[in-house]
Amino acid sequence: MAIKYYWEDFRPEQVFEIGSRTLTAREIIGFAREYDPQYYHTDEQAAKNSPFGGLIASGWHTVSIGMRLLCDGYLLETSCAGSPGIDELKWTQPVRPGDTLSFRSTVLAASPSRSKPDRGSVKFRWEVLNQNGEVVCSMIGTQIYLRRPAAS
Amino acid sequence: MAGGKKYYFEDFPPGMRVELAGPTLTREEIIEFAKRYDPQPFHVDEEEAKHSIFGGLVASGWHTVSLCMRLMCDAYLLDAASLGSPEVKRVQWKHPVRPGDTLKLRMEVLAAQPSRSKPDRGVVLHRWEVFNQRGECVMTLDGYGMFLRREAGS
Repeated sequence: MAIKYYWEDFRPEQVFEIGSRTLTAREIIGFAREYDPQYYHTDEQAAKNSPFGGLIASGWHTVSIGMRLLCDGYLLETSCAGSPGIDELKWTQPVRPGDTLSFRSTVLAASPSRSKPDRGSVKFRWEVLNQNGEVVCSMIGTQIYLRRPAAS
Repeated sequence: MAGGKKYYFEDFPPGMRVELAGPTLTREEIIEFAKRYDPQPFHVDEEEAKHSIFGGLVASGWHTVSLCMRLMCDAYLLDAASLGSPEVKRVQWKHPVRPGDTLKLRMEVLAAQPSRSKPDRGVVLHRWEVFNQRGECVMTLDGYGMFLRREAGS
């Protein structure tokens, strides 16, 4: 896919609203069986007697779906060169079958690399929201983007 | 259901360490995860990845985290009175994970604090350090897990 957006295109306070995707019990169980088979993620009956009162998605599933929404929203059209890490990842509400998730990305800061003049970093607040507008998961994410080539 | 387990809050004292042998990642697994959740070119397309700053295919960071979660589940989490996690303080991806890499996970308990508001539970702060077969640290994660206390569950 052609690159449309470079480091220079991200400026503080920009907000991107992306969405959405509805989760089924089958998807929740499918992810959890592979990566996080705690009973409240894999067993609908047993989950009813858990502290969550029913089946909920693995937090890593929620994050991964957020990542996919971000990719489909704009990331695949950018010069993104990966992420060194994230901070303050919080799961604030359970995600249940039938929930429709959307994604909000807010630019917090952008700084050019001191050592590598062809790139810069961008810091975002990323939030996953449900159909009621509740934030179910949030984090501070940092990504590296290549700078716009001089010729283009 | 969280009761009647083998491990409770008290079983994760500060300084506790566990080392776990992890999986060897295949190209197919890396691409399959990324096609579903993180289809950036350097995670899904070997040819394009060669021309990326990584110089070849690398696993999604979320794939690495998810594989570690599975290791923790199999090691003890499924036998623990776990109430989930409210927060991960920090994840750092320090080194790319490539096809053929074999992961190893070291977990250390950094702190354990009984809940002030809910006497039946406590919060454990743990650090994961993930290494490849060359001993390079590929990822670290500092996160909280909530567990029932033994007297509450048994």
